Amino acid sequence: MCGIAGRILSAPGRVGNDLVELMDAQEHRGADSTGFAVYGIPRDEGYILRGMGFNESRLSADMEDFRLILREHGADFLEDPTFVTGGAAHYCVRMVISDPKDLARWINDADTMSDRFEVQSCGRSLEIVKDTGGSRDVAEKHGVRDMIGTHGLGHARLATESSVLPNASHPFWARPFPDVAIVHNGQITNYYTWRDRLHRLGYRFLTENDSELIAVWVSHEMSQGLTLDQALKKSIRDIDGVFTYMIAGEDGIGFAKDRFAMKPLVVVWQDGSFAAATEEQAVRRIYPGECDVINYDGPSLTEIWGVGNRRAAA
Amino acid sequence: MSEIVIDVGDRPIREVNQDIQAACAAGGPIRVRNTLSRHNLGVGLPPGVTIHFEGSVGYYCAGLNTGATVTIERNCGWGVAEGMSDGFVTVGGYAGMSCGAAMTGGLIHVKGDCGPRCGVAMKNGTIVVEGKVGYQCGFMAHKGRIIALGGAGESCADALWEGEVWVAGDVDSLGVDVKVIEPTAEEVAEVDAILEPLGLKDTARNWRKMISGQRLWYFESRDAGAWLMI
Repeated sequence: MCGIAGRILSAPGRVGNDLVELMDAQEHRGADSTGFAVYGIPRDEGYILRGMGFNESRLSADMEDFRLILREHGADFLEDPTFVTGGAAHYCVRMVISDPKDLARWINDADTMSDRFEVQSCGRSLEIVKDTGGSRDVAEKHGVRDMIGTHGLGHARLATESSVLPNASHPFWARPFPDVAIVHNGQITNYYTWRDRLHRLGYRFLTENDSELIAVWVSHEMSQGLTLDQALKKSIRDIDGVFTYMIAGEDGIGFAKDRFAMKPLVVVWQDGSFAAATEEQAVRRIYPGECDVINYDGPSLTEIWGVGNRRAAA
Repeated sequence: MSEIVIDVGDRPIREVNQDIQAACAAGGPIRVRNTLSRHNLGVGLPPGVTIHFEGSVGYYCAGLNTGATVTIERNCGWGVAEGMSDGFVTVGGYAGMSCGAAMTGGLIHVKGDCGPRCGVAMKNGTIVVEGKVGYQCGFMAHKGRIIALGGAGESCADALWEGEVWVAGDVDSLGVDVKVIEPTAEEVAEVDAILEPLGLKDTARNWRKMISGQRLWYFESRDAGAWLMI
């Protein structure tokens, strides 16, 4: 089934904690894996990277190779990377890097080692944290509750179309666009058609997860000059299947829903803050009292919600 | 008999439903508080009891109802009164997707609007919606009647089997294999008799009655186009 969520705060705050609450209330929809996209206070320069290596014993070698590619593109670590290790074959890493000369080319080169190490988010403020297991476990392992920011996405996965792997968890980064992430509830039925088409155009797919297609598809459409709003509307015609997906950028969160109106989305806006989720009982964790709930229940719907104050002191 | 009050909050729903069943056995009436839009509240209620849910409830509230009178103060999620065989369910606000799915009897009265596929696969009973019914209302309904007073969304009465969809107000579009017919005076009187006890009778209504065009009953390849209309 999967469950998705979005959160916008009226000023920077504990957005990570809210996203964990939203996902905890929806954990029954799927606890194969859980993920979060958190938008922190944006940096003026340099990027924050989140990534995953698939063999912890190769951690040092992976980082050396990764740094080599980074330097070839005129960038380097600005801080020492921090790692989450132990208990599983894979490890997770957070890095802060200086700006590569050409972000798209750099990530293309960095992806040549994607069988060993994947960059899963890159942005001035975006950080994607994802792992196998339920929301509480993933949150505790990666310290998600303490993440400060303005907005973000959450995802609880019930694996249907591909294996349960830590990197096949949502959210997916719309590589190579910095600060763009998606979460999806549903199934894409023309997945292989689009995957082949985009593959021939030079896009790289890092998983077998059908939801990754949405991220790649959107990044392609935006590279062709479409605005986010246009891409959302076009996706309803071009992507086949049942879906409600949410896409976040630096300035807001958007969503699109299939023409069969199969997957729900409920939204509450109150006092300048916003919560969206697959189930109303999830947004009640944020807004326990009775309030106006908007059900996006119709077919072929899109919407974009803006983020207001991003830089006020946390 | 004095009212029995049950609190939901973050308690396990199985425990809440056990309390509700015990209160039903005691004879009720029952008031359920602090519902927080949680799912599966009041499933499998027995005949003769009266139960009131304060606030909004989640999915499948009053599912498999066998004759209880249920009121939901505000909104409900998917599948309210799904599989109900008898009883009377009132939703004060908005009803989510698949309201009254596969119900076989009883009456649902929604005071607000309905989400998609209201009355999907219903096999009997009545759904009255004061507002607008959503996308694909009555999808593959086999029997029973849906009455919408505030219009209908896209693909209304899509692939309807033997049920009836009555709409007063605008219909955004018709679904596959729908026939719109002029109801007889006797049929209108029948619908008015349903609406009257709900305080909704209005003889000035301009009804559209929708039934199956029956083209999908006996599929022939030359009719395949009908399936591709959606």
